[in-house]
Order: sequence, then C-alpha cells, then structure tokens
Amino acid sequence: MQLTLDIPGRKALKGRVDAIAQSGPGGRLIVFLLKRVTFIPVSLFVIATIAFGILFLLPGDPAVSIVGDTGTPEDIARIHAELGLDDGFWTRYGNYLWAILHGDLGTSFFSQQKVMTEVGRYLPNTLELILFAIVIAFVIGVALGSFAAYFRRRLPDNIARVAITAMQSTPDFFLAGVFIYVIFYLAGAAPAPAGRMRIDSLDQAGFLLIGNFFHGRWYDFWDALQHMFLPGVSLGIVYASYFAKTARASMSRALHSHQIEFARACGLREPLVLRYAFSTARTPILTYGAILFGVLVGGEAVVETIFTWQGVGQWALEGSLKLDVPVMQGFILTAGAITLGIYLLLDVMVGMLDPRISLD
Amino acid sequence: MTSVPVETTAYKRPARFAFLLDTTMIPVWIGVAVLVAFTLAGAFLPLPHNPTAPDVNIPLAGPMGDHWFGTDLSGFDVFSRVIRAASRDIPLALIGTLASLAAGVPLGLLASGKGKLGERIMRVTDIFQAFPLLVLSVVLVSLAGRSNQWNVVWAIMITNVPRFMRLVRSEGLALREARFVEAAHAIGATRGRIAFRHILPNVAGVILVQVSLSAAYALVVIAALAFIGIGAPPPEPSWGAMIKSGFSELANGKWWVSIFPGLAIFFCVAWLNVIADALEAKIEKV
Repeated sequence: MQLTLDIPGRKALKGRVDAIAQSGPGGRLIVFLLKRVTFIPVSLFVIATIAFGILFLLPGDPAVSIVGDTGTPEDIARIHAELGLDDGFWTRYGNYLWAILHGDLGTSFFSQQKVMTEVGRYLPNTLELILFAIVIAFVIGVALGSFAAYFRRRLPDNIARVAITAMQSTPDFFLAGVFIYVIFYLAGAAPAPAGRMRIDSLDQAGFLLIGNFFHGRWYDFWDALQHMFLPGVSLGIVYASYFAKTARASMSRALHSHQIEFARACGLREPLVLRYAFSTARTPILTYGAILFGVLVGGEAVVETIFTWQGVGQWALEGSLKLDVPVMQGFILTAGAITLGIYLLLDVMVGMLDPRISLD
Repeated sequence: MTSVPVETTAYKRPARFAFLLDTTMIPVWIGVAVLVAFTLAGAFLPLPHNPTAPDVNIPLAGPMGDHWFGTDLSGFDVFSRVIRAASRDIPLALIGTLASLAAGVPLGLLASGKGKLGERIMRVTDIFQAFPLLVLSVVLVSLAGRSNQWNVVWAIMITNVPRFMRLVRSEGLALREARFVEAAHAIGATRGRIAFRHILPNVAGVILVQVSLSAAYALVVIAALAFIGIGAPPPEPSWGAMIKSGFSELANGKWWVSIFPGLAIFFCVAWLNVIADALEAKIEKV
C-alpha cells in the first residue's frame, strides 16, 4: 500500500518517521508496528464492506423468519420498518459504517441483544478453546514432526507419516463423536459433552479456565479443564497434523543444513544439535500456528455446537443458519480483527526471532 | 588429422507417459481405483435394503445379521445409506475441486505475471484469508439457494480457489526467472503462450498434488455442511448428515449410526491424502 497523496506536512512527518527508524533496531520495530497498525483499520473497512455487500445480496427475508408462521403481512411490514430493511443500499451502508465507527455492531434480529454484548459474552469461551487446542496441536504436532524428520526415510518416519495422514484425514467433529463415545460413554473419564462447566456451578462467564486459575478457585478450574478436554483434544489432534507436516519439512531441512553438520562435527551433543535445528525451523512452524489460529476462529464452530460451548463460532453458525445479518456481520468483523491482530503479532515475533528478516 | 568415428544412435524420444506405470505410482492407482469403485458401488450396487425407505419396526437396532451396520433412529439401514452416499459425496467433492481448479489456476497464472496486477490480485485473496470460511460458506450457499444441493460447490470453491491461486503463483514466480521462459520471450512468444505453454506444464505436478488435497478437503467441507443441515435434502443419504442423525445417541452408547459414515469419510479422505503424498514424493524425486 503506497500513499501517494500530496498531504501538506507529509514530508516533515516522513522525515520524523525516518529519524525514529534510524535510531536503532527498536526504532525500526516501532516504525514497522506503526505502519502495520495503521493498515488494520483499512483492512477492517474492506472486510466490513465486503461483508455488508455479500449479506445485502442475501435472498430470504429475515422478517419472515422472525415473525414465524403466524405473522401477518402487517407484522412483516412493521418489522421491515423497525430494522430499516426498506431503505436503499447506500442509506443502509452509510448507517452501518456510521454505527461501526461508534462501536455499535447492531442488534441481533432474533435475540434482540446488542451484537457487541454477545461478542463480549461468547468470545472468551472461543478464545480459551482455541488456545487450548493450539497448544495441544503444537505439542503433538511438533514432537511428531521432529521425530519423523530425525528418522527421515526410515521406519519411525514411515510410522509417523501414517499417523499424520490418519490425523489429517479425520473430520474434527467426527473425532469429537468418537471421543464422546469412547471417553465419555465407555470409559466415563470425561464430563457430559454439554457446556463449559457442570450444570450446578455458579453462573460464571468470561475466561473460565484462566480466570479460575488466577483466582485460585481450583475446584472450578479443574471442572472447566475437564470440560475443555474433549473438544480441545479433538481439535488439537486434527490440527496437530498440520503442525506435524510443517515441522517435518522444516526440521528435516534444518537437520541437513551446513550449520547442523558443523555443530555435529564440533562434537556437540545430540539434544543441543536438535535445539539448534529447532531454532532455524521455528519460523515456518510459528507462521503455521498463526494461520491455524485464524482458521480456528469460526473453523471450530461445528465442534462448539456439538459441545454447546456457547462460543462465537456456535453463535455465528446459528446466526448464519437463521440469516441473522447483524450477527453474521459482527462475527465476520470480529474474526477479521482477530486474524489481523494475530498476523501482526506473528510478524513482530518472527522479526524478533529471526534476525535475517528485516522489518521493512 | 584423422577423423574420429562418431557414434551415432538415433535420438529416441523418452516415452511421455512412462512415469504413469512407475512403481512409485502404485499407491496413486490403488487410491484412484478404490475411490472409483466406491462411487460406482454407491450408484449401481444392489443394496440389501432401500436406503431411502425406513423399516419403522426396528429403529436403532445394532449391527446384526440382516442390517450389517444396524439401523438409525428412523429405522433406515445404515449400511445401504453409507454405500449410497458415496455416489453423491465423492462426485460432489470432485466437481467442487475441478471448479476450483478451473477458476484458481488461470487466476494464479495471471497473478504470477510481472507488475502490479499480480500484487493486487494477491492482496484481494489475502483479505479473504481474514474471513471465517465456514460461516462464509454457509452464507454463500444461502446466497445461491440452500434448496439446490449442488450449491455446496460454491462453498468448496471459496476455500479451495485461493489455495490454487497461491500455489500456482508461487511456483510461477520462480519459473519466470528460468532460462526457457527467457528463451520463449526472446523468440517473441506472447504472455498468454508463455503462461499456458511454458509455465503451466511445469506446475502441472504440484497442481495435481493440490487437486487430491483439495478433494480431500472438499469431502470434509461437504460433510461439515451436511452436519449442520446444508446439502442433500433429508431422505437422501449424505455422510455428514448421517453422522449428525446419530450424534445424540453416541452419549447413550449407540455408536453405529454415526461411526460408520464417519469411517467412510475417513477412508476416502485418507486415500486422497495417500495419493497426494505419493504424487508429492514423485515430484520431489524428479
């Protein structure tokens, strides 16, 4: 994105920015961050516009599904007027953007709740699930992938690759079903697949796992962790295959590099050699982690629905099946913002971890 | 000077498709054969029971003599439905993948050209990366009309077209610098000719790998959409919808309704992944 507009004072500003950039490596990072952060609203604007455009074209009348079978034409006309569905494209688009700028994502057609409030209620559940799943996927995947890379083209590698293919070929919701049958029904080792905590628990909301941990409520923490187990592990195992593939490719490249050959020639111990190999292989793995995080926002919607997780995925999926336009728009914007934020974080981390990458 | 006898043997053009009979291609052919057989079986095999007519007297009967995979809540025969669903889900995944291929490869070639155009096309696909794909799929299928089950193809395309584009572009960008492209340019080949006659054949291998990966992914997308109720209209069998129909019974120990269709998906997706792996190993070697 190049700004070529002739804004007065632009040269002076540019000079000041350049001065910060040249003040050292920290300054470069600040300038890089500034550039990226200013780009985020632009991206969000584009996302909001596309979301609005697509949903504007959506056939089907939300008013009809709101009033149900018993609605009269007068009811439908009244709801149309209430929701502003009779206005033209530009009026609605203008109102929509104006509302977003004021932090108002609209009101759900069905629950009559502010979309912003609902996002606030459901998002913590989803974020905890995704983080838990990503950590499991990372641990299993990187271990399996590095193991395969270390024994490349030998028997352990072949076994690991069969395991990776099997993990990759399982739909996450099917694995969740298998776990519900095996771990909940047969082994009785997990709580019933419904909700985040036991039914008689205090009506807690927000980050149940992290919150209870930091408040030292161990019983509730353990309860939330147990409920997290089935959905988190089913997602974690399926997504571990992607980490494993990336880790196998980048680790075997690293293990065959000159510096590893040199490290071995110096007589370093194997664990240390592996650590050095991992430090060159971690950038692509980290990149993949960020991509998976973005995919999981919304991608875990089906698993959330199975476990009545009350997360944004389930909320958005139900909303999109009912054609609840503000909910869908709100979710697309939320997911977009999270993805953009994660990518920004990724770029910063990669820039700090890998000195070969310049932040320009 | 004495003349040195030059050994002359007629130049023999290497057989173009000999690689198809290579031993490394065995998994590919087995996989293709298995999937084709499964599809044909779904379409033509005489089934033990009518897959769309329930036997209401025995709902939720376990696997036994007459009903090999048991019956579901309404008394449908699970075995017949698992087989019949293959003739719907596999071709649908293939059509979705081919549609993604037809759209993604030309766009990717276009984006791999020098200049601003390629950059701009990729920016647009980057923005799509920030969209939640599953919800977008639901929206797209709703846009096209949920009553027509073939509209699931749009959902497959939204997830797979950007992958084809990204792949073709990254391979194409590397090939742009190759000597033969320079040579083609020097003898005055047009850009279109370079793209389709010189670049495309060289990325055909990676595209083929991506086709089988995309088909695998498409099967999962179809199943996920059917699971949440989008796709084949109810009496018609579809693996995702079948998993859903037995899901609530899993916690009560009635496993067969969901597990068998799930295994069918796993089986097909795994073979597609095996095909992709074998093809990839093949490309790496050459």
